[in-house]
Amino acid sequence: MKKSYWILLLVVIIAVGGYFYSTQQQEVVEEPAQEEIVQEEPAEETAEVVNPDTFTEVNMGNIDSLDPHFQYDTSSAEIVDNVYENLIRFDKGDITKFVPNLATEVPSEENGLIQNDGKTYIFPMREDVVFHNGNSLTPEDVKYSFLRALIQDRDGGPVWMIYEPLFQVGSLAEVTQEVVGVENPSDLSAEQSEEVYNYLEQAVEVDGNNVVFNLPQPFPPFLSIISQGNGLGAVIDKEWTIEQGGWDGQPDSIAEYTNPTKEDDPLFDKMNGTGPYELVEWTNGESTILKRHDDYWREPASIPNVVIQMVDEWSTRKLMLQRGDADIVYVDKQYMSQVEGMDGVEVIRGLPNIYMGAGLMNYNIVTEGNPDVHSGQLDGEGVPSDFFSDIHVRKGFNYAMNYDAFVEDVLEGDGQQGRGPIPEPLLGYEEDSLTYSFDLEKAEEHFRQAFDGELWEQGFEITILYNSGNDVRKLAADMLKNYVEQINPDFKINVRGIQWASYLDKLIANKFTLGFIAWGADYADPHNFAVPFLRSDGTYGGFKGEDYISWAEENVDPVIDEGISTTDPDEREKIYKDLQSLAYENAVDMYLYQPTAQVIMRDWVEGWYYNPIKDPGIYFYDLDK
Amino acid sequence: MEWQEVIKRLLQNKVSLFGILIILFFIIVAVFAPYIAPPRDADEPYLIPRGGWSIQPQPPNEEYIFGTTEGQYDIFYGIVWGTRTAFRIGLVVVGISSFIGISVGTIAAYYGGFIDEIIMRITDIFMSIPFIIATIVFVTILGQGIGNVMIALITFSWMSTARLMRSQVLSVKEDEFVQAAVALGANDFRIIFKHIILNTIFPVVIQASMRMGSMVITASTLSFLGVGAPEGYADWGQMISFARNWILGVEGNPLNYWYTLVIPGAAITLFCLSWNLIGDAFRDILDPKLN
Amino acid sequence: MISYIARRFLILPVILFGVTMLIFSMIMMLGPYQRLSTYIKDPAQLKGAEDIDQLVEKFGLDDPWYEQYGRWIGGVVKGDFGWSESAGAPVTKAIADRFPATIELALFSLIPVILGGIILGVLSAVNHNKTLDHIIRIFAVVGWSFPSFVFGLLVLMIFYGVLGWLPPGRLSNWAYEIIRSTDFVSYTGLYVLDGILNLNFKIVVDALRHLIAPVFTISILWWAFILRITRSNMLETLKKDYIRTARAKGLAENIIVYKHAVRNALIPVVTVAGQMVLGLAGGLVIVETIFNIRGLGQFMANAAQQLDYPGVLGGALYYGFFLILINLFVDVSYAVIDPRIRLE
Repeated sequence: MKKSYWILLLVVIIAVGGYFYSTQQQEVVEEPAQEEIVQEEPAEETAEVVNPDTFTEVNMGNIDSLDPHFQYDTSSAEIVDNVYENLIRFDKGDITKFVPNLATEVPSEENGLIQNDGKTYIFPMREDVVFHNGNSLTPEDVKYSFLRALIQDRDGGPVWMIYEPLFQVGSLAEVTQEVVGVENPSDLSAEQSEEVYNYLEQAVEVDGNNVVFNLPQPFPPFLSIISQGNGLGAVIDKEWTIEQGGWDGQPDSIAEYTNPTKEDDPLFDKMNGTGPYELVEWTNGESTILKRHDDYWREPASIPNVVIQMVDEWSTRKLMLQRGDADIVYVDKQYMSQVEGMDGVEVIRGLPNIYMGAGLMNYNIVTEGNPDVHSGQLDGEGVPSDFFSDIHVRKGFNYAMNYDAFVEDVLEGDGQQGRGPIPEPLLGYEEDSLTYSFDLEKAEEHFRQAFDGELWEQGFEITILYNSGNDVRKLAADMLKNYVEQINPDFKINVRGIQWASYLDKLIANKFTLGFIAWGADYADPHNFAVPFLRSDGTYGGFKGEDYISWAEENVDPVIDEGISTTDPDEREKIYKDLQSLAYENAVDMYLYQPTAQVIMRDWVEGWYYNPIKDPGIYFYDLDK
Repeated sequence: MEWQEVIKRLLQNKVSLFGILIILFFIIVAVFAPYIAPPRDADEPYLIPRGGWSIQPQPPNEEYIFGTTEGQYDIFYGIVWGTRTAFRIGLVVVGISSFIGISVGTIAAYYGGFIDEIIMRITDIFMSIPFIIATIVFVTILGQGIGNVMIALITFSWMSTARLMRSQVLSVKEDEFVQAAVALGANDFRIIFKHIILNTIFPVVIQASMRMGSMVITASTLSFLGVGAPEGYADWGQMISFARNWILGVEGNPLNYWYTLVIPGAAITLFCLSWNLIGDAFRDILDPKLN
Repeated sequence: MISYIARRFLILPVILFGVTMLIFSMIMMLGPYQRLSTYIKDPAQLKGAEDIDQLVEKFGLDDPWYEQYGRWIGGVVKGDFGWSESAGAPVTKAIADRFPATIELALFSLIPVILGGIILGVLSAVNHNKTLDHIIRIFAVVGWSFPSFVFGLLVLMIFYGVLGWLPPGRLSNWAYEIIRSTDFVSYTGLYVLDGILNLNFKIVVDALRHLIAPVFTISILWWAFILRITRSNMLETLKKDYIRTARAKGLAENIIVYKHAVRNALIPVVTVAGQMVLGLAGGLVIVETIFNIRGLGQFMANAAQQLDYPGVLGGALYYGFFLILINLFVDVSYAVIDPRIRLE
């Protein structure tokens, strides 16, 4: 009896082993046969478009909010872009050229709609535009929309972008502080609210059929900021919004409507715009269904229905693309090889992406209770708080990164090394500007000079963190470890992944050492990159420690301020080039990569064009299949 | 039944012998890991070395006999050092949680009444959250890392031992020899330890050997979901998570990346199988119903 | 028995309170900035230190834990389970959306798991120590040793990648379009059932096709469990006096086995059902993740990873409530089946 156990186990093992062995064998033998099958299918498919009346995009993740003034992520922006409209839009993805949208003309000095040395913008409004619920668009709606955005200004939201040109500040809180001395807008009394409202109101005025914006100072990227694709400039229907329980349009109610949570925001899951598509149904994390707006002021869209599905599992997305159930799918860079050569599928790579991935160095690491600096001293067992304050350390790290390998292997060639905070093709970017290259000799040279040679003798140990799940950042950190440790056997780098929660905490508490982060364009202007990376109070600049902040206040901030108040493009270009080389000379950050984007779609999709500002969002109006 | 007798029978039973042989094999691999797969950096042997920076897995070749995963982690190295990780998780988690379970269960049953009621309700509370969810929450909070995974597993896995122990003790407690010991005036601790625990331990041991496998599975599930071992740490579950997005292969060859899934999958399954075979045989030997 | 049921019901809120306290206290081990990560998903969203403190204040992350817990429990009492940031929806809606998928999967798994397990167990016992017994037992122990994520991925690789038979998800795309159309009434959210009620059998077939792989993955694991209990009890029962008597009377072996022995051996299976449901609930987390089924398990795993505590707590309450109810049902029905058992 017992013998049969042995025999059976053997049989099971042999069967399992044999199966995989034989499938391996079969692969070789069957390959030609399989290819035949593969070639047959698409021949039918290309001839016959699957679901010609519905355009299906398959993406992943969640949509944050459908409120155009609340959302600040690409997935939400895509829906908003198709349902709501702004005054002007880019000419089919050309970010240097505007065309009218809800306005009938694009303001310029030449047509006299930009006046007052670039401080007044006049938008004549289009008539006969209707919202999805049938209401007509009025200039009052435009004014209401901008004021609602300004009043709502939720924490962590996008509205800072128009506070800057309109009021030269960053938030409603700064305005209330300035006007009535109240720190938190939710604490405003009715009278204070009216006072603040009056202050806000003078920036956006209705004049007959025109909407007029008054800027305190010239601000060259203003048109770019309020252009289509940026939800904060989207026009909503005043009457309808009030019906839904949104801001009542009254001057005294700011406290009640400012900074809502998602559950308090009536437009979180409802939409009513003037755009080519209207919202039918939204199930977060699953799907968004849009249908054509038949009373659209232009020709109605050619595809009647749009479905945006959220599928997190890559294998499912892949299958949907293969079968033609999906017209466009999101593909992570690492799986590109799996779609390359798929029949009936068009892959476009190398699309310019206005994005900068960089390594941030903390000039004053908080060492207390921070295991990542180890001993916290320059004793070979750790790093001192001001480790990265030494320019030679920063330069040493900058020379120790293998940029070419990163672009070739990690990005699979889809990108380029960063040349400073400003990416291509923005003003200030230069193809041949000075930049760091992978050069261990130079790295050694600088490490030898750091801390007057003491660092070289003592050595150091440091931990670089990345947020787990982010393979690209882990790879970058691993590369640094690999090369820096080759320079001197006493140099030691640990790479540790931590959860996003702890990563965020480290960043806020100034306990990170060197961290990889990225910035994607909010609008197409170098100002949008110079500020977060370099300015002393920028999103990233502000986290780089006291030494950096005081240096930047003196050397960087004035240049940035000059750049944004100058209207002449040639002069501006020169200023941003200066900033770019300032960042290089001082090795402020490690500007690692600017990736290119890609799009993967069925080859029956027509009319697609790339819009670098909206990537990867798709504007369905121009598509057909 | 005596220990010696049990072990003798385990060795005689072909099935459990097979299990024992697999475990021996894994033990050898774990012990000689530094010789089988010499680490690049002796300070951090658990970090799987990378054979390059490319994202695409590479099939088995001369240098990497099991191939590499995405990000070029050496699968062979990961399997070898992952064996140590598996043993560490299994032994530490099962050991400590069994100890906690035995103590809690014994105390509850021995003292009974109010103490029993409180302890068992706490046990109920811990059992009402699905194990895997509870551990995901806890590891997310503690942070990635094998140590934290073990803490989370221990925190949420002592309850079944406690319940089993409690029912065992309750039935033994009524036995004559315990009653006699009480009558003779032996103190609490001696009674508990000498008579009750020694007389009730076998079912707990069976359970422990079965749990070796399931704890290793849960730990690797956590790694698979991305909250367990840190990226690049030698852990079987993580190696499988590297395979997750490659299982459909490439156009025309769906099994192109089979090695990323099958090799680590086989390691973890064999490991659990061996413990379960032993546990199974153990149970058969000790189950009076079958004798 | 009534007092037993009443007591269990009285304990129910205590347990649920304990469960939520346990989860809550775990999450409160993190500082306010760490818990802010639920709301801030990208460092690019930070604008500077002031903004961060405002956010902490807005979501009350800095308040003492009892205030935060009080806020949450106060809402629950009023039927408001809070907002799940990971799902981007109120917790009640997020759970209601996902509940049918999980229930459908659980119901369809229970049938093959229990039936298959019992049949295998009986076959194994009847053929005690014969070849079939060995085959079944080896099969079972191998199944039990397979981590479900490994097995699930293998199933996907072979039955979907190579053969293209069993796709992940709950329905094919064309079927989703039918479901979303106005002609189709969604009664239960269980697609198989809805398909039958709408007399649309294409939907039924498609939904069933999508259920095969996850159900198979779950079954492989749990067959071993049921089988072992059935087998051991069958063997015991077959030795009992009344079976011997029956044999002595000359009753046909088949009748003895199926009429007397099986029925008696089934009782212990009922007892472990509660334990099984608990295990199944955990198993669904992985199966739902691998087969891309938008269910409660996947929701809770996501919520846990994003530290979305209203999501985790809400999910745990749901689970806890159902599990306790099921356990109670099992206890009571056990007492009914076997009068020798008395509930204290």
